[in-house]
Amino acid sequence: MPGRIRHRIRPRWFGITFILLWSVVPIYWTINTSLQTEAQIGSKPAHYLPPTPTLKNYQTLLTGSGPVPGEIRQSAVNIVVECTAATIITVLLSTFAAYAFARMKFKGRKVLFYAALATMAFPAYTTLIPLYQILTEFGLVNTYTGIVLVYVSGFLPLATWIMYNYLLSLPSAIEEAGLVDGANRMQLLWHVLLPLARPGIISTAIITFLFSWTQFLFPLVLSTDLSTQPLTVVVQALQGQHVVPTTLLSAAGVLAIAVPAVIGLTLNRYIVSGLLTGSVK
Amino acid sequence: VTGPRLAAPPAADGGVANGPREPRRRRRFDPLPYVLVSPLAIFIVGLALVPAAFTIVEAFFRVDNLDPPTRFTGLGNFRQIFSDPVLRTTTGNTLIYVLIGTVLSTVLGIAMAVTLQHRFVGRAVLIAILILPWALPGVVEGIVWTRIWDANTGLLNSVLTSLHLVDNYQVFLGEHRWLTIFLVEVVQVWQITPLSALLVLAALQNIPGDLYEAARLDGCSGRQTFWRVTLPLARPGIAVAMVQAVIATLNVFDQPYVLNGAAPTGSSVMAETYFVSFQNLNFGEGYALSLLVTIATLVLSLGVVKLVYRTVEF
Repeated sequence: MPGRIRHRIRPRWFGITFILLWSVVPIYWTINTSLQTEAQIGSKPAHYLPPTPTLKNYQTLLTGSGPVPGEIRQSAVNIVVECTAATIITVLLSTFAAYAFARMKFKGRKVLFYAALATMAFPAYTTLIPLYQILTEFGLVNTYTGIVLVYVSGFLPLATWIMYNYLLSLPSAIEEAGLVDGANRMQLLWHVLLPLARPGIISTAIITFLFSWTQFLFPLVLSTDLSTQPLTVVVQALQGQHVVPTTLLSAAGVLAIAVPAVIGLTLNRYIVSGLLTGSVK
Repeated sequence: VTGPRLAAPPAADGGVANGPREPRRRRRFDPLPYVLVSPLAIFIVGLALVPAAFTIVEAFFRVDNLDPPTRFTGLGNFRQIFSDPVLRTTTGNTLIYVLIGTVLSTVLGIAMAVTLQHRFVGRAVLIAILILPWALPGVVEGIVWTRIWDANTGLLNSVLTSLHLVDNYQVFLGEHRWLTIFLVEVVQVWQITPLSALLVLAALQNIPGDLYEAARLDGCSGRQTFWRVTLPLARPGIAVAMVQAVIATLNVFDQPYVLNGAAPTGSSVMAETYFVSFQNLNFGEGYALSLLVTIATLVLSLGVVKLVYRTVEF
């Protein structure tokens, strides 16, 4: 018996250590860089811990003047506006559509439902060039509206699918009772279904927000200047300019991953449940 | 029943209140569901189906802002693509990306899922940490990993030197094709493996404990149990994980764009599509490339499903 226990436990510890190192080391290394000075990161071999930790790079980004901190701050505002708007609209529209799909019968229900699901099978970049041309046609290139419309169109099918499955899992007997009480169907959705569907809504919102935050190629094409470029695009552009110090760039990178990292670490329960619904179609 | 109403379990259905009203409802038009789904319909048609149709049609046209007007060229764009030596290289690169990325993310995903298969203290925390790379933007991950692969100040060089495995700092990216692609793909694998692990883990948790008990009583070793019980029964999850890996790797853009730039050594087809369309402004060729990538993605995904997916019943 002791032999078996050792046999079972040793590989697990190996796996646990691997997962920890694999996920954390690259992020740690960027944070480590961001807490050093340009001279310190030139050391060979590198400092595995910052010798004299400094927040100077963060201070420069958050309060400093000059083009680089200004661009970072403006693009941080842009990414928050775009992701928040896309998330709110996606959650709202997907909830409406999912309610109709899950609880009502109407003409064209199947066709629309499967058309929405089918768009998920296509790689996102299939529509990159036509979306650019359509937005150009309507004067929406380099506007918040254009970016948000594209994000919503991309994430709406998955969001609808997650919400649809969540609403289906709720017993309809509760609404029957509400109907008997004389509530109309929108009141039912608002007062009865949505409170019950809160975990599904949170999943949908978080996944939409994270997907929007990670976008790069779409805003690279659809945003042409700093008025709408999100943090991801600007951080990458700064990396291309060799005058920007590596430590400062690392601090900017840490800022760009801070929000999704905190969301991922704290709300992962909702992410897991939403993703598993979303992938098994 | 064609009339709009709440879908209800049979027991709650056909009550007194519903019965007599049924015929009247069938004739009356109920606008509510149409109002609820119309935004979705507009988005799907306007910003997904119409653009997809654009891609299919315009792939056969010459669409060049520098050389208007748009005109039909038949297979001209495709001929241009297949005779372009750069694109031949990037296609090869992309296939290497797909191969390395799919194999690596699947193997790692299975290993991580098996690690997490049984409950232990701190498992929830470990899952949170596992998901982390999935949640981060690919471009920023590229920047994060630049700090590891870097030729002057990178972590890998530092560790290899400290361990006396190399005498001098090495240039890892852009020198050797396979090495460059491998190192760039590791960054994408870092991003997509969490989802693979979660999908396989979900499949593993459907496997009844009795099967493991039976395998143990039959005297199976840990390794035998893995190959004969765990792996075959996790096939649905593994198939879905592989499909998402194939889609992601065939369309890889962020990581090569950041770590490799425009150099043909490690450029991908998607990166090339971007350069062709938005730097050379040759939209027609870009459309044709998008169409080819889409078709390749669908075909390869279906192939993986056919090869790997098996329905499992317990």
